[in-house]
Amino acid sequence: MNRCVVIAALGPLLMASIASAQVAPAPDSTAILKDFDMRLSAYVKVQHAAEADVQALRKTASAEEIAKRQSELAASLREHRPAKQGDIFTPEITGEFRRLVAITLKGPDAARVKKSLKSAEPVQLSLKVNDIYPDRAPRQSTPPTLLMNLPKLPPELEYRVVGRALILLDVKTGVLVDFIPDLIK
Amino acid sequence: MRRSFLSLLLCVFLAGECAGLLALLSFSAIAQQDSKVVALPLKPKSVRFAAFGDNGTGGQEQYDVAQQMVRQRANFPFDFVLMLGDNIYGSDTAADFRRKFEDPYKPMLDAGVKFYASLGNHDNPNQRLYKPFNMDGKRYYSFRKENVEFFALDSTYMDPVQLAWVEKQLSASTAQWKICYFHHPLYSDGKFHGPDRDLRSRLEPLLAKGGVSVVLSGHEHFYERLKPQQGIYYFIIGNGGQLRYHDLKTSADVAKGFDTDRGFALFEIAGDDLYFQALSRTGEIVDSGIIQKAAPTTTP
Repeated sequence: MNRCVVIAALGPLLMASIASAQVAPAPDSTAILKDFDMRLSAYVKVQHAAEADVQALRKTASAEEIAKRQSELAASLREHRPAKQGDIFTPEITGEFRRLVAITLKGPDAARVKKSLKSAEPVQLSLKVNDIYPDRAPRQSTPPTLLMNLPKLPPELEYRVVGRALILLDVKTGVLVDFIPDLIK
Repeated sequence: MRRSFLSLLLCVFLAGECAGLLALLSFSAIAQQDSKVVALPLKPKSVRFAAFGDNGTGGQEQYDVAQQMVRQRANFPFDFVLMLGDNIYGSDTAADFRRKFEDPYKPMLDAGVKFYASLGNHDNPNQRLYKPFNMDGKRYYSFRKENVEFFALDSTYMDPVQLAWVEKQLSASTAQWKICYFHHPLYSDGKFHGPDRDLRSRLEPLLAKGGVSVVLSGHEHFYERLKPQQGIYYFIIGNGGQLRYHDLKTSADVAKGFDTDRGFALFEIAGDDLYFQALSRTGEIVDSGIIQKAAPTTTP
């Protein structure tokens, strides 16, 4: 009898926990994520235009050439995209990301993800859009479970965690495309 | 009636003892031979390689390790080296690549030894374009040598696309031995970092399902060989240039640890046997053993 009462009481809680782990879409999230996709597509177009103006990065035995071409591409990218924080992570998109990350950090995998974040050599950087990720700073590993719960990116971009911020990085140049401060709590 | 009951008890006892003995035998066949060094047998057509991680400091210790590798190579001519990440610490100008990679390993590079890098958290991902790292322009990739396939992964950024690639590549591989290497260890008894549990929860099921026998990692600045986990042998060889002195804690999972000097490891795979030796930069053998490939289980 007592066991039945306990199960009945825990049932809704368990269901809520399972539902939250599956990252259920919020009422407005479809439109918000569509807007996010459009902004990413626009970025990719600019990135390709910037790439067309400089010599392409390629496989080479010359570390000097890799560094030079990465730097030239970054400069071209900055010229094509005089961006500021919030151009991609608008307040609405930031809200949606806060919701998605909160679900990950409160769901059944939360303890494991938090432990992983703590042991990932947290990095403290002063973040500014269009800056290049500094050579001397390690790249904090991003928990796979967190990445699984974030919207998919085109191959030109990647998410990274920097301290408590989530940043969007250009893969080829390491240019900081946008960021959300204080997202990982 | 009473006699048959006693016989039954005896049979159960003996069966239990035999099972225990068999388990002991199968373990001792694969475990490190504590009492003596297991030699690398230099069998014909064997796959021979070295591995280290966390090497790219440009410091004297990295050069010492490199010189010891050259000395060992005179007796054990390995063909290639697996780099377990943190290949170039700090800035990565052309001068840094010279000081932290090309100069220390010049004798091996000149002798035709190939280096296959994986990315660590201190590495610029554009190292994938640097030809001497043999990454073919990719953050993660695989290559095959005889009956062994190697999978170099990017553990700093294990996104769903890479996880799907790992699953597909492992499933498609027909190699007898599948060896994965990447920077962050799934198991570790390091006091400073410890294991990446979220990475483990997502990656290890794919490795086990895909038939991976051995995983090599770095990140922790010491040598550790763990007791097999989920049927996989895990090594940490993160002392190729860095060292975190006395960072290993006591644990039942440690098969062998070494955290008082830099070093590297040598491997030889011949048929069903993988021989290994871990060495310090002074050439002391700190661990050795044989891992035997378990025969695939067949269902009747």
